[in-house]
Amino acid sequence: METMTYSTQHIWTWWIAAYLYFGGLGAATLSITFLTDMYCRSNPRLVLWGAISGVVMLALSSLVLFLHLLHHAAVIWVLIPAAFILHPTSWIAWGTQFIIWMMVWGLLYALPCMREREGFLRIPILGSLLKTGLAGWLANFCMRWRRTVGWLATINGIGTAVYTGLLLQSFPAVALWHNPGVPLLFTVSAFSTAFAYLLLVLYLGQPNEDDAMLRHRYELFDLILISAELLILFTFFNYTLSGSESGHRSAQLLWHDMGWLVGFMGLGLIVPFFLNLKGVVKGWSSGMPTIAASLLVLMGGYLLRQYFMTAGVYAYPW
Amino acid sequence: MTRYAMVIDLNTCVGCNACMAACAMENQTPVWKDKWRTYVHDEEIGHTDQAHRRLFPRLCNHCSNPPCLTVCPTGATYQRPDGIVMINPEHCMGCRACAMACPYDARYEATYNDIDEGRTFYGDEELQRQVPSMDKCTFCAHRVDKGRKPACVETCVGSARQFGDLDDPNDPVAQLVAGGGARPLMAYLGTHPNVYYIDENKRRG
Repeated sequence: METMTYSTQHIWTWWIAAYLYFGGLGAATLSITFLTDMYCRSNPRLVLWGAISGVVMLALSSLVLFLHLLHHAAVIWVLIPAAFILHPTSWIAWGTQFIIWMMVWGLLYALPCMREREGFLRIPILGSLLKTGLAGWLANFCMRWRRTVGWLATINGIGTAVYTGLLLQSFPAVALWHNPGVPLLFTVSAFSTAFAYLLLVLYLGQPNEDDAMLRHRYELFDLILISAELLILFTFFNYTLSGSESGHRSAQLLWHDMGWLVGFMGLGLIVPFFLNLKGVVKGWSSGMPTIAASLLVLMGGYLLRQYFMTAGVYAYPW
Repeated sequence: MTRYAMVIDLNTCVGCNACMAACAMENQTPVWKDKWRTYVHDEEIGHTDQAHRRLFPRLCNHCSNPPCLTVCPTGATYQRPDGIVMINPEHCMGCRACAMACPYDARYEATYNDIDEGRTFYGDEELQRQVPSMDKCTFCAHRVDKGRKPACVETCVGSARQFGDLDDPNDPVAQLVAGGGARPLMAYLGTHPNVYYIDENKRRG
């Protein structure tokens, strides 16, 4: 009865990779933005860029999942706020609530900044909503409780990033997924890609000389996170070398694939590592190397999730 | 208490696939896309003159610690007190996390398209499925509740499938399992499956 069949799955494909990628990226973008605004330097423009793009990423992530559901109307059962209490062992139930409340607190944190911007007030419908008394009351409330709202958003953001890994970890048959390293790897990757994205915002979206110190800090944090990701991946490599046939076969799929080796490990991690290292230690004369590094990190973040989904090997005893 | 289980004897399965046909008719499975609640895996083992053919019936293992249930975000997957793992199609949104979590490849999708196909295949008035959802074996819970055996067990010509109550010490299935003659699949995963197999080699030995 011990003859085994090994196979990868075709149930969760690119769309779940996109769900995990945009979910982690959006959540970490919001968390970093608010922590920066609360504890480094008040930066309304960064808040607007970070909050709005973060919420858009979370919405995109949720939309990708929703479009692939079999029975769309039944999604109501996971949207009800008590879903994670009723089904506490389901990480999708937790993750859905994290994402919803992340978007709510994220928009509330950005609301006072939005009301101060003429550009937002001129947008049809949104502008009218922002001018209402309720929006004014909410904006004052959020200003008074700024740090509380910011931390509520941040906690949900961290929860979302960790959730993306916990979701894969909850599938016991696949050694590559069912281990404590996955939530750690996906959380580190989510924050690394978010720093990369925010560096793009700081360089391209709102270039400002006053942000030079902030850009330097972001580059340093991204460098540390890329280093941590490389270290975690090394432990994965070591873990999958032996111990289970499922893990070993996953390793063979990953480490014999040029997309993983060159695309993700090389271009997505090692090249940005050295670009950021030079930037942090000696600096660059222009922002282009950092922009290139950030784009590569963002690409690598998606490739990581895509390859993790495709390389999960099931072992069937028949 | 009752805890239902199935024992499958790999020595007596002849690969007639009558279990698949009986199950398909009983539970209206989407056979047009080769999806079944129970399936007989047919494989040649080995490459020498010692090679032999293995027929391996598969189905939901109705685990006592089912990973498909713990990952379900809507509560659509639930377990009855008698151990049978069920799906409530009305609550299933079809995220497929249960299929990813199942180590036994026991779940498949039933889509809107399958409902349309089902109307043609099983008849508009006869079709039970109203909404799309994930689907899997239920040990024919509707038959079991009436004191009958699952369709696959009742139809098995080789008596390869036996169905019984593990909590009844006089039940032959309980005795087979307690005696160690039948073993679950991948017990190391901690899923505590309630489908047991009598190894083909033991009979040969």
